[in-house]
Amino acid sequence: MIQNTFQGKIIIFFLFTLLHSSHTNALDFKAYGFIQPESSIYINGDGRHGQDNYNTSLFGKGTFVSYLQNGDAKFTISAISRFDQSDDQLRYLDFQKFKYEYYFDDVTLKVGNEIVFWGVNETFNIVDIINQSNLAENISGTKKLGQPMASISYSQDYGTFDIYLMPYFRERPFSGKEGRPRLLFEVDKNSITYESSAKKRKMDFALRYSSVIDDLDIGLSHFYGNNRTPVLSPNPLTLKFDSHYPVLSQTGVDIQATKGPWLYKLETVSAKEGSERHLGAAGGIEYTYYGIRNTQSDLGVILEYAFDDRNDNPFNNEGIIGLRWSMNDVKSSSLLAGYLFDMRGNSNRFQAEFEQRITDDLKLFLDLSLNGSIDDTDFTHQFKEDSQITIKIAKYF
Amino acid sequence: MKKIILVLIILISTKLSIAESSEEKGYNIAKSSYESGRGFTDMISDQLMILIDPKGNQVTREISAKSLENLDPYDGDKTITYFETPKDVEGTVMLSHTHINEDDDQWLYLPALTRVKRISSSNKSGSFMGSEVAFEDFSAGDYRKYKWKYIGEEVYEGDLCYVLESYPIYENSGYTKRVGLTDKLLRARKIDFYDRKGELLKTVFFEDYNLYGDKIWMADSMKVENHQNKNATIFQWQNRKLNVGLDNKDFEKSSLMRLAD
Repeated sequence: MIQNTFQGKIIIFFLFTLLHSSHTNALDFKAYGFIQPESSIYINGDGRHGQDNYNTSLFGKGTFVSYLQNGDAKFTISAISRFDQSDDQLRYLDFQKFKYEYYFDDVTLKVGNEIVFWGVNETFNIVDIINQSNLAENISGTKKLGQPMASISYSQDYGTFDIYLMPYFRERPFSGKEGRPRLLFEVDKNSITYESSAKKRKMDFALRYSSVIDDLDIGLSHFYGNNRTPVLSPNPLTLKFDSHYPVLSQTGVDIQATKGPWLYKLETVSAKEGSERHLGAAGGIEYTYYGIRNTQSDLGVILEYAFDDRNDNPFNNEGIIGLRWSMNDVKSSSLLAGYLFDMRGNSNRFQAEFEQRITDDLKLFLDLSLNGSIDDTDFTHQFKEDSQITIKIAKYF
Repeated sequence: MKKIILVLIILISTKLSIAESSEEKGYNIAKSSYESGRGFTDMISDQLMILIDPKGNQVTREISAKSLENLDPYDGDKTITYFETPKDVEGTVMLSHTHINEDDDQWLYLPALTRVKRISSSNKSGSFMGSEVAFEDFSAGDYRKYKWKYIGEEVYEGDLCYVLESYPIYENSGYTKRVGLTDKLLRARKIDFYDRKGELLKTVFFEDYNLYGDKIWMADSMKVENHQNKNATIFQWQNRKLNVGLDNKDFEKSSLMRLAD
């Protein structure tokens, strides 16, 4: 969003740099993207906050990549946008990537908006911390906001070091009043506090070492900055949630071992917020059966578990059993389905995503999310009546 | 005395060469054929893949690739593949460190997830992008992957060719046997593949041979006919350039993102 002057300035700086460099070099670029109308039906009827049982939305993504300075530099724009019929928090434009990178022999310098993913798990990405999650998009937090940063990457035979400086913090978007699913109360955008006196302008810092040793992919990371997850507390006067962003210091380790058709994954964090330290661990296995029943189809079985030593953490004792079925056909048909369960209580949820290419530039997506029995003490209880089927058709250009 | 020893050595070695078994002869031809295609150092190319169903319907897939020759006689080459079409996979990048008779190391960057995943690669016999080409077919000429047997000679398209049978060593191979024709310029011309049940699965025709760097014959077209499902795939290499100055650093997990968005 070009909603603040800081990002506005960065964008103007980039456009200037781009125009300037295109004077001296023939512009070599790629541009691609898609638009995607979406339509959802809520199986339980109208929502408990009076939301409709039907919703439509239009989503789009555009990517532009250009190599400059004889291929030693790259400029990237990748923007996503959504216009939602009901939820005003789902009407946005976000520059996921808006960055300039320069490649030296062992060193890469980068400035601008970027998405950085850390970790190995399919479901419980507890090490991943650089980008803010857009919870208005989905409650699992896999949809991110572009993070403004300057970074340096240094690669040697023994591994890669990355240093990130993040001068500007982005608050977490939540579903609005008409959003579905949504929290019990709205999150009040005008009542946000920070532990850090610098608030959004706190210079967040992160460091990562990653390496590949035969069939092991290893990452060690440390983050110091505003926690991406706010503490929400209901305000009795406004009947909205106030948010507070504490300062987080988090050290993470992520390891994947790839042994034939077996993948073994583990992520652990040790984190400190204020004076409180907590530990988390999440990991699992994935096994793939290739060429099932003498076809080209592959079937992967995913098992993951997450533990957190904070009793009030919603993901303190969760498991998932997932199946990934890839037909490996001309239409790239595939199905990903998962049964998520809370091992401390009695809550469970089923999710499935099917996709298939219709023509060379059209693709169909079907998403299903079904809530099973959910304890009224579980934080997902507020989404209990939000089971849905979504159909999306993407047109690529 | 020395002369006698020399004569003896000549006699023995002549005898050895006469006694070359059909396995040794097959192995030696395959090895020479493989080595005649080496020395490219590194390579870039655009690749076009045409998938044809039994009714004749066609779809086209475009990728571009870089590869780096591995001089280690016990290890395979490295490749980076950038997917351009179909459009929904545009921007996907795959890095492979291939190994001869073990699983490859493979990483995939998926733009929709904006993350790099290390993926299992024990499906070398699996279809490449829904085509009739399997991952393992890209290194079909590597003599180290098979046990060989020389069968005889046969005229193919006017050229006298060696007929070679080969049996995969890699335990997860999708094939049990291959029967191939290699011409006197040591170029593979055609290979029949037999599936795990021993039945004829497909025939691969190597065509459009061009001489690169004045010394290496490379097929710029590979046609695959599947005899069981009646599909066909035509794989074409375009804008192929050798020895453009790539090195190991261009083929690391950390360098994969340079090609991505």
